[in-house]
Amino acid sequence: MLSIKNLNSYYGRSHVLQGISLEVPAGKITSILGRNGTGKTTFLKTLMALTDRSTGAVVLDGQDISSAQTHQRARAGIAYVPQGREIIPDFTVRENILMGSFARADRKHVVPELVGELFPYLVENFDRQGGLLSGGQQQQLAIARALATGPKLLLLDEPNEGIQPSIVEEIERAIVRLNRELGMTVILVEQNIAFAREASDHFAMMEKGRIVAQGPIPALTDDLVHRHMTV
Amino acid sequence: MFDVIFIGLSLSSILLLVALGLAITYGAMGVINMAHGEMVMIGAYVAVLSSIWLGANFLLAIPIAFVVTALFGLVIERLVVRRLYGRLLDTLLATWGISILIQQAVRLEFGLTFFGIHIDGLGPGLQNVTVPSYLQGTVSVAGLEFNGYRAFIIGVTLALTALTWFILYRTSAGVQVRAIIRNPKMAAACGIDVKRVNALTFAFGSGLAGVAGVMMSGFKTVFPDMGATMVVDGFMVVVTGGVGSIFGTILSSGLLGEINALVAIGTNDIIARAVVFAVVIGVILFKPNGLFSYKGR
Ligand SMILES: Nc1ncnc2c1ncn2[C@@H]1O[C@H](COP(=O)(O)OP(=O)(O)OP(=O)(O)O)[C@@H](O)[C@H]1O
Ligand SMILES: [Mg+2]
Repeated sequence: MLSIKNLNSYYGRSHVLQGISLEVPAGKITSILGRNGTGKTTFLKTLMALTDRSTGAVVLDGQDISSAQTHQRARAGIAYVPQGREIIPDFTVRENILMGSFARADRKHVVPELVGELFPYLVENFDRQGGLLSGGQQQQLAIARALATGPKLLLLDEPNEGIQPSIVEEIERAIVRLNRELGMTVILVEQNIAFAREASDHFAMMEKGRIVAQGPIPALTDDLVHRHMTV
Repeated sequence: MFDVIFIGLSLSSILLLVALGLAITYGAMGVINMAHGEMVMIGAYVAVLSSIWLGANFLLAIPIAFVVTALFGLVIERLVVRRLYGRLLDTLLATWGISILIQQAVRLEFGLTFFGIHIDGLGPGLQNVTVPSYLQGTVSVAGLEFNGYRAFIIGVTLALTALTWFILYRTSAGVQVRAIIRNPKMAAACGIDVKRVNALTFAFGSGLAGVAGVMMSGFKTVFPDMGATMVVDGFMVVVTGGVGSIFGTILSSGLLGEINALVAIGTNDIIARAVVFAVVIGVILFKPNGLFSYKGR
């Protein structure tokens, strides 16, 4: 699905990602784990060409997108749900979702039916301003916006960070459902090991801008977690 | 008194046409285009030249000026501004250079003076445009006398502001522009071609300034440096209204135009300008993000 070879990424002069190689299999959830500040977000941003500069090869379904710009990557089928959600506060819920549709191949401005099934709250509140939603609802909105791009691959950056427990479960269920029922490929950055183990098929552990361990999820031992994640 | 308010309104209109373009380009791209005033100047010269050479009607000069200045804007964006995104000072300097270049091009008649060729309507001198008779004189409505030409300026501005509003809030292109103003990176991640939309936005803003130039040519003399003060005035409006707020830009051009007219009528233009500067400085001191800011830059 997504094949990444020797990816390096920079903010100005600081060299943050250092030679990342990873195969992301189709139809699976791959979790990216690691301490704060190791470059997980930078990894996802680099996949979207949102850092200042990057080198290395990124191939999506046989299509080399290494030098594609951000909007071209979105149109190639990668959808990004950023850490901190970044919805547009003075756009309505509908406008926020439809923003995603600029990446659709057919350019149709429609809210996918799926959004109504996964997050009925959003559909019931189409005309509310995005900024008036709670953190959890904004997270759902950011996922809905990503789904509106009609993606092959979904990048989720800590979708449960700082969200009220009642909604966490709803979002976790939605992620699992997108993958199991609809076969969506997901790269998930996650701090909650329990959820990562439950939901994902593969993992990659990062430390200081490199991948230090990767494999199928059963290979994610407590020892690995302790070594690379406890502060 | 009513008269003065009406004059203020027509000044505000010109200010608004100049400032709208700046507000959108500064809001969406964070670019300060010092050559924006030259778009006003080019618009005014389009009015001069089209009346001399095409025998064209003053009204026809409006769409011609829009197209010509929009194309100028497109070329400036492609050749210079695009390469300098995120480098505010470099853009400032480069577009200032462009503004001087354009002024000299008009003054030297695109270099033809060196060959002893003179094009009527260009050159260092002052030019005048005659407004057609049906726009002169006064119209009286409900017992009040309106200066016809000022009413015309206000009408054109209202129409163009409505058009801009419509594009921004009712079309897919407008959604893209507003998304870029709010969050360019997320806009790109949603598949919006930020560079392309920015180029078109830049062209549209330049076109509006060009129309402002045509309007100005009807009541002011036209000369190569006339744009220099316009860019300053335009930015005062944008900063006072709040970067990123179209509504703020509209209100602040109204405010500054009226203050200018009211003070000028009691005293003179120079004192009026000083008062406007004082108001702007006051606003920046007490509300650094402007009267209606969404976010500071
Ligand atoms: N815009 C930026 N400019 C410069 N350096 C940055 C920028 N964003 C992140 N960094 C640096 O890059 C490194 C990796 O940051 P990143 O945000 O990718 O980490 P992370 O693993 O996502 O952390 P967290 O778990 O806190 O979200 C950090 O050292 C950070 O300081
Ligand atoms: Mg992060």
